[in-house]
Amino acid sequence: MDWNQIFQNTVRAAVGVDAIYFAIAAIGLNVQFGYTGLVNFGQAAFMACGSYGLGMTAQYFGIGLWWGIPLGIVCVIILALIVGIPTLRLRADYLAIVTIATAEIVRLFVRSVKFNKVFGGTEGISNFSREYRDLNPFEPGRTYGVVPFRFSGYTLITIVVGWVLVAIFAALVWQLMRSPWGRVIKGIREDEDAVRSLGKNVYAYKMQSLIIGGIIGMFAGMVLALDRGSVQPDNYSRDVTFYVLTALVLGGLAKVSGSIVGSMLFWVLFVLSDNILREITRNGPLRIGDFTVIQSTQVGAVNYMFVGLGLMLLMTYRPQGLFGNRKEMALDGR
Amino acid sequence: MLGDSRSVKTLILRVCLLIVSGVGLFGGFTASVVSASSDDYSIIASVQNQTLVDGSTSRTPVAGVAVTVTKADGSKIGDGVTDESGLCTIVVPSRDDYLISIDPSSLPEGLALIDADKSTVSISKDLFTTNTKRVTFFTGEGASSGASETERILQRLSDGIRLGIIIAMCSVGLSLVFGTTGLTNFAHGEMVTFGGLMAFFFNVILEIPILISGPVVIVLGGLFGLLFNWGIFARLTKRGIGLISQLVVTVGLSIMLRNIYLFQFGGRTKQLSSYSKQVNIEIGPIGITPRDLTTAILGVIILVSVALFLQRSRLGKAIRAVSDNVQLASATGIDTRKVIKIVWFAGGALAATGGIFRGLDEQVSFSMGSDLLFLMFAGITLGGLGSAFGALIGGFFIGIFVEMSSLFVPSELKVAPALFILIVVLIVRPQGILGKSQRVG
Repeated sequence: MDWNQIFQNTVRAAVGVDAIYFAIAAIGLNVQFGYTGLVNFGQAAFMACGSYGLGMTAQYFGIGLWWGIPLGIVCVIILALIVGIPTLRLRADYLAIVTIATAEIVRLFVRSVKFNKVFGGTEGISNFSREYRDLNPFEPGRTYGVVPFRFSGYTLITIVVGWVLVAIFAALVWQLMRSPWGRVIKGIREDEDAVRSLGKNVYAYKMQSLIIGGIIGMFAGMVLALDRGSVQPDNYSRDVTFYVLTALVLGGLAKVSGSIVGSMLFWVLFVLSDNILREITRNGPLRIGDFTVIQSTQVGAVNYMFVGLGLMLLMTYRPQGLFGNRKEMALDGR
Repeated sequence: MLGDSRSVKTLILRVCLLIVSGVGLFGGFTASVVSASSDDYSIIASVQNQTLVDGSTSRTPVAGVAVTVTKADGSKIGDGVTDESGLCTIVVPSRDDYLISIDPSSLPEGLALIDADKSTVSISKDLFTTNTKRVTFFTGEGASSGASETERILQRLSDGIRLGIIIAMCSVGLSLVFGTTGLTNFAHGEMVTFGGLMAFFFNVILEIPILISGPVVIVLGGLFGLLFNWGIFARLTKRGIGLISQLVVTVGLSIMLRNIYLFQFGGRTKQLSSYSKQVNIEIGPIGITPRDLTTAILGVIILVSVALFLQRSRLGKAIRAVSDNVQLASATGIDTRKVIKIVWFAGGALAATGGIFRGLDEQVSFSMGSDLLFLMFAGITLGGLGSAFGALIGGFFIGIFVEMSSLFVPSELKVAPALFILIVVLIVRPQGILGKSQRVG
């Protein structure tokens, strides 16, 4: 068993692209769920807005890549209005239902044969990121860094850009939550009626929070799309939101550092479990006597089983996450 | 706290054991075969007839079907007829985008394309991984082709009623659990899947006919629901964990269970063996298999008995009372905890029944229930969250609506209009048809 390699992969996962896009998505989800108490189960759809915003510039509009950002923002706002207008006046679980449904339908739309020309169907979109690649100061073929943090120049650009984005959004959200706006937002989470009685338009604040969180989530989708060089509809399945949520709860809700540390930790644990299981099953299924415990095709399922179990246990025994503050956990102040 | 921690762990162990012991089947994945290459680019069209033998699909080639290849602009590249092995090779000039179509009228008597919309398949140049690209058309017996508009509408209506019955059945539990405990259970879809997979286990692996194994599965489904309550949600409530936190727990539970199913059952869809070989009987213009007709009638009987039970029996009245107002019901001497247990049992049993019916109707897969979850939510929101009758009516309506809407929208997007209904209901009448209106923000 190559433990050295497993160790390297695990440590590298803490700073890799997966951790970055999860961190950005989690910062966005934190604005909505952690600070405002909006149960947004459709962060994947906001991420898809970003990816497809970039992809569609080449696939459908034939305009420069960076137009993808305003395009994505417009999509996010439209999506936020669709899910927000009917539900933000209602109890929290309605938003959960509508966002999960909308995210699923967004995914069905982008992978449909009907809109193949616009979104590229199940194949997705590729060949849109040249402008971004041309900006890369690193040589794509060369390997940079020291063990275990060795990345090819091709990936390194996204890692640098990604962490800069993480820092920007972390600082932005941190500032926002210290501002009067942030205090109102947290007030809504604690006691909506109290905030309303102070003459604040709760509905508008919730909508703003949904849009801001959605736009941050959109950038997560963009980082993913630029790194992969392609946009795949199945990267935005319903479960992606839940994995981001698990990372967020792991790090601690309503804490900026929580989203970042949580995402890093999530991927470290995930890659560790994945690598160990793959190592075990590499030379055929693991058996105890005649009973097959696990075979290589089942590794993915086991990893995600752990994610689900982890989310349940965290929410039950440590809802404030590993580093969170329990005082900030008033999720049921409807 | 320590005791709780231990019991949640034992519960999770039990859930795992139950499923591991229950579905002892490992799904395999088969790699697709890539054909050999030559210098020219060619498209191989393959026409295969699908029949179901002993729970697995068997395919036989169909000869003599006319195949045409055209470019995207409609210009013809070549045509041919399938041989004994169901294949037809057409040489194409270059790696490009093509449309491959077969002539449905050239199919042998009694065969029709399984998906009538797929008589033409488009391929893009990226799909040529080698010099040849294989395209397969699947036919099945007795699917109606060339039906008139009224016939299509009636056929969709009959499909819709069957889907509606299943959704109504599945969503009663979801709505009642919400009504009595306030919990929105995102793992409810997994209770439906549980029914389907258990039916597969008894029916295909142990080879017990569904008529005998069905009731067993339904009881197991009820116990599964009870296990949810006893092992997780009753304990969480006792610990004073809020409803939104519990909602996130149901999400974790859903992910965990779905992946346990995937682990045990594999990613492919599989067929139940009982009543899989059926010939359509014609009732007026509608073609329906005796199996589907039976499940539809049984479904209606079950739904009506559920409604009568809730309306007439003492227990049903108690359930409605708790669902209406827990404190008030408790004050009038109703044992609310007992009622909640019964609701979980009944909800689980009904969800499992829905899973069996869905498995007979379509196929069984690890995500069959979670795929229906959104439709169930649309149904109970339409009917009124927390109202059992609302769930029956709303679920039934959503099923019909979804199938009918596939007359107008591509069938891959037919669930999208259900979202539209969901949003319109929430704007116009957020309490649903039968829900009681309450001030919410």
